[in-house]
This record gives sequence, structure tokens and C-alpha cells, in this order.
Amino acid sequence: MVAHIGSWLLRWKWVIVAFGFLALIGAWWVFRPEKLWINQKVNEPAPFASSTDPQPLYTGRLEGKAHQTSGRATIYKTIDGKQYLRLTDFSTSNGPDVHVLLAQSDDESLKQEIVKGQLDSVELGPLKGNQGDQNYDLPVPVDLQKYNAAVIYCERFHAVFGVAKLEQF
Amino acid sequence: MVRKIRTVLALAALAFTFGLRPSAHAQDSKAKTLETGTFHGKVHSTSGRATIYQKEDGSLLLRLTNFKTSNGPDVHVILIAVKDADDDANFLKSGVERVELGPLKGNQGDQNYQIPSGTDLSKFQTVSIYCERFNANFGAAPLEKF
Repeated sequence: MVAHIGSWLLRWKWVIVAFGFLALIGAWWVFRPEKLWINQKVNEPAPFASSTDPQPLYTGRLEGKAHQTSGRATIYKTIDGKQYLRLTDFSTSNGPDVHVLLAQSDDESLKQEIVKGQLDSVELGPLKGNQGDQNYDLPVPVDLQKYNAAVIYCERFHAVFGVAKLEQF
Repeated sequence: MVRKIRTVLALAALAFTFGLRPSAHAQDSKAKTLETGTFHGKVHSTSGRATIYQKEDGSLLLRLTNFKTSNGPDVHVILIAVKDADDDANFLKSGVERVELGPLKGNQGDQNYQIPSGTDLSKFQTVSIYCERFNANFGAAPLEKF
């Protein structure tokens, strides 16, 4: 019996090897395991490569805290190196002494609606309007890696109206 | 007479080059940002930003920046008609409507994809990096108004 199987194997050896080889190629084609280690890098230009318009650096959606707030906060850099925060699509409630700040998105005091104590922040100025598109110049040395959240903040009652976590554009 | 024609031709050529240059410049500088979102994906860790631009001629373009995903077989960029997708979503099973933008050009780096004209962006709200062979969602970026 064993001898019989042995002779059978011997006779069909090359066919079995060929089928095994084909199966291996098929498996390779399906899974392409080498792609786990091989990266394919591309670097296409932006659709406005020659533009002199301000370029967006960071952006995020505003989320309401103490008051309903919505819209987008984006930090732009102009061609001469100046940076500014722009609110678009923006709406919040009106209030007394409301300011625009940059703060740290992981700041514990930002997680509450009312800040206890002092909020570590960079002041950008009083809110110009509670609705509509508006720009705020950034003071020259501001670390945007650290102050990575735009905050609509009522100074009088220490109330956080809304926060936008800024992510790289 | 010949000299006159030559002068006219030279002037026409000058006007042509100078006339064309500003308009060509204006064309590539006027892309409007419509929507943007960031990728999330855990199974095949995917990160970066997806942004949809409208060019001056009205055509739509998807651009991936700071982009990174894992390499794989038959990976495509698609727009899907959902608000957001789970990291392990299978769009074949769930029968999600989609728009094909083409095979992924590279698993790293900045890249652009044409969006077919007539695509309704209010319906197709999420970008997915999708492996067609195994119906696996590598990563998804829900888009929000810029």
C-alpha cells in the first residue's frame, strides 16, 4: 500500500510541484504580503500651488459648551509670515465681555463649562460679532503646537462658550 | 508692406503671451475649499486630512495631505453615502452607495483625485480608503463644511 502511494507520488511529482507553485503565486497575488514592508510615497502639488493667498495651517470645528456654538476655526499664514485665526460659518450666543482665546486642548479646566481659577491662554481680542466670518491676528510668538484650541470665552463669568480643537490642515 | 505685417504679427504674439499668462495664473490660484475632515482607522492605521476643492471651472478635486495608511492589494479611494464609517466597516455587506475615485496612488504623501462631475456632496459625506479585494475599510474621513 505504502509502496503504491510512493510510486503514485513519484509519477505525479512534477504535476504536484507545478500545482503547488501555481497555488503559491495565486496566494501571493491575492495577499501581496510584501506590501506590508514596502511603502509607496507620492507627492502631488496642491491645486493652487502658485497661489499667493494665505495658506491654512490648522483647522477644527467649534463645539458648544456653556452656550450653543458652531462653525469652523482656521489658522492661516499669509505670504509675509503673519498668522491669523479666521472664524467661518460661525454662530454663538451674544454675551458680556466675550473674547477669543487660544488655549491647550488637553487643559482640564476647558473640560468644564465654567473655568475655575486661571485659564492658561493667549488672548486674541474681544469677539467682534456673535455671528459671521471674522479674523483675529495672532501675536507674533505663539506656539501653535501647545495652544492648539480656539476658545470662545466669557471673561466676566469664566464661561466657555465653545471650543475648537485645531488639527493640522 | 512685409515689414508692416511682421510688426503686426510680433505685436500679436506679444499680446498673446502676456494676455495668456495672467489668466493661467488666476486659474490655478482660485481653488475654493469646500469640505475637510481627518482620517481615522485602527485596523490598518490610517491618518491625515481629506479636503475637497472646487476649481475655477467648477470641477471637484479630493486632496489627501499628511496622509498615511498601510499598503495593500487593490486599495481604492471612494466616497460613501454615510455620515461616518466604522473602522472595520464592510460596505459590500451593508450595501452602502459609493462613488469610485480611483486606485490609491500611494500609501503615503499628498495626492489628488478627480471627483466625477455631478457628484452630490451633501449625500456622499465620507471618504474611505477601501480594499476592494477583501472589502475592508482601511480608514474613513467624515467631511465637514470648511
